Amino acid sequence: MTTPLLDVRDLTVTINRDGRPITALDKVSFSVNPGEVLGVVGESGAGKSITGAAIIDLLVPPLKRTGGTISLNGDRLDQLSPKEMRRVRGGKIGFIFQDPMTSLNPVITIGRQLCDAIETHLRLGGNETKRRALDWIARVGLPNPDVQFKRYPHQLSGGMRQRIVIALALCANPSLVIADEPTTALDVSVQAHILQLMRDLHRESEVSMMLITHDLGVIAKMADRVAVLYAGRVAEISPVAELFANPSHPYTRGLIRATPMPTADGGVQLDQIPGAMPGLGAVPPGCAFNPRCSRAQSDCRSVVPPLVTQESSAFSCFHPLERDVA
Amino acid sequence: MLNYVASRVVQTAFVLLVISFIAFLLVANIGDPLAALLSADATVTERAELVARLGLDQPLLARFLHFLGNLLQGDFGLSYRTQDPVSQLILERMPATIELAFVSLLITIAVGVPAGIYCGVNPNSYFGRFIMLISTAGITLPNFVVGLLLIAVFSVQLGLLPSFGRGDVVQIGFWSTGLLSVSGWRAILLPAATLSTFQVAFIIRMLRTQLMEVGQSEHIRFARARGLSEARIWYVYAIKNTLLPVITMLGLQLGNIIAFSVVTENVFAWPGLGSLFLQSIQAADIPVIAIYLIFVGVVFMVINLVVELLYPVVDARVLRRQS
Ligand SMILES: Nc1ncnc2c1ncn2[C@@H]1O[C@H](COP(=O)(O)OP(=O)(O)O)[C@@H](O)[C@H]1O
Ligand SMILES: [Mg+2]
Repeated sequence: MTTPLLDVRDLTVTINRDGRPITALDKVSFSVNPGEVLGVVGESGAGKSITGAAIIDLLVPPLKRTGGTISLNGDRLDQLSPKEMRRVRGGKIGFIFQDPMTSLNPVITIGRQLCDAIETHLRLGGNETKRRALDWIARVGLPNPDVQFKRYPHQLSGGMRQRIVIALALCANPSLVIADEPTTALDVSVQAHILQLMRDLHRESEVSMMLITHDLGVIAKMADRVAVLYAGRVAEISPVAELFANPSHPYTRGLIRATPMPTADGGVQLDQIPGAMPGLGAVPPGCAFNPRCSRAQSDCRSVVPPLVTQESSAFSCFHPLERDVA
Repeated sequence: MLNYVASRVVQTAFVLLVISFIAFLLVANIGDPLAALLSADATVTERAELVARLGLDQPLLARFLHFLGNLLQGDFGLSYRTQDPVSQLILERMPATIELAFVSLLITIAVGVPAGIYCGVNPNSYFGRFIMLISTAGITLPNFVVGLLLIAVFSVQLGLLPSFGRGDVVQIGFWSTGLLSVSGWRAILLPAATLSTFQVAFIIRMLRTQLMEVGQSEHIRFARARGLSEARIWYVYAIKNTLLPVITMLGLQLGNIIAFSVVTENVFAWPGLGSLFLQSIQAADIPVIAIYLIFVGVVFMVINLVVELLYPVVDARVLRRQS
């Protein structure tokens, strides 16, 4: 058993709506091991982005972390002062934002933004800082680093900007990077390149990664293990091969079947789960998935199923799917 | 960049041409040079001669070109009221107005920019709210009320500062400056403060709104996610995004102050262009009014041009929007 790099236990985030607290994340637990890519998957609105933001205390009010523990290498992040948290952000945990069109400062050059990030965490002196910045521009695959260094974000294409966003997240050598839908805002043709880049950088630097996406295709390409989120709760956490082959939670299976995938006979199989995920504050009693679940029984409608660990995976379901024995 | 500069300069020239034409129409249609220049018992031949000499029998366009030609040679015509060249009247009064405008711009920048930044960075602090409260007063109170209040307090009650005039002026070439004497500075403080009240309040509100908006943006969130210090985030990353509108506003305000300080100059008996304009209106002195209009147009357009030429320096995206 390796000690995890990031360990999140019972993370709870609430939102105060007209004085009434509404739970957005309900006791979410997972961990990321050193060198591992943990995929976090779920429908839009499942709470993936909130999970990522909560780890580095970047929640936008009225969202507020109200419970749980977050440890990085054994240090409790949830107890840090704002100043200590600033050292973690960027320095120990990098964050890749979704939309490269809005996440770069439009009036500051690429080079300056990189140098500022490097300078903040690694005290290197001007020349070395600049050398590193140029080095990172090259590492994320942009030609002519000297030219790019002086350019403004609007002079780059979306794909190039996302490469810079990645460089910004990684340039201070964090041990973990959280990527929130890093390819969702990009053209399909660019998506594959960015994923390839992230895979290469991950292999080179052995940085651990928490890859947030709604796209199981991205998960299949990138992740070692997968956490499935549903309505602010963890439905299932499994190694990626096992998740696709033998999902335990009915929602996981539904999610896989709802993803267009070529079948053995060459056709495309697509099966939507009936109904929709409950929104904030509308989560039914018991298992959040029970109204959409064909296996739901009376216990599912009254008691929230706890996350139980079984061998390498964990799931929160009273009536899990049987495992095919291969 | 060259394209950008050229297109701005051409635009400016075109607008100035239009303004000159309007001013020309004013002189041509409202003013009656014959009545002003002919004696009451002039004969019909004398009258016809004058008409020919002034070119009044020419078509409108030809007369406009003539008017424009005179303007470019510095011949602005004669004042009906004083019979002096209009150019001389304007030159005499201009330094007072321009010095007043610049001192009030200085006050605006020195007070408005720091206060606006403070309110934008700490919108919910008590001091921030207090500043906003005061600035509401600054926005709503009319200029002359502010002027009278300042006079009542600083001149009448406390007797600290004079309530009228420019103090001692020093002549440097054609320029008479009040900024080289203590009495000049004492005299300029109240009118300059009066003029800047609105501007200060305006800049504070604008900076605050801009900064609060930028503070919510994704790129600032990303800057936080990189662990940059709050000081760098606000004073470099956020502020740079607000420079464009702030420079625009300051420029336009400077134009406003120079052009429309009429009321304030009147309250403080400030011997500037505003007072000249009022006197000319009272005397229906059309040539002076027309030239004043052109002057205001030139001031606005030139400031506007300078501001627009500054844009690409502040934000390179401007050039791209052009093409
Ligand atoms: N700042 C906010 N204020 C109110 N509700 C929010 C806020 N941010 C997210 N939410 C809500 O929280 C839920 C989870 O959001 P999010 O984590 O962004 O979902 P996703 O899994 O698509 O990333 C959604 O229902 C969303 O509407
Ligand atoms: Mg999201």
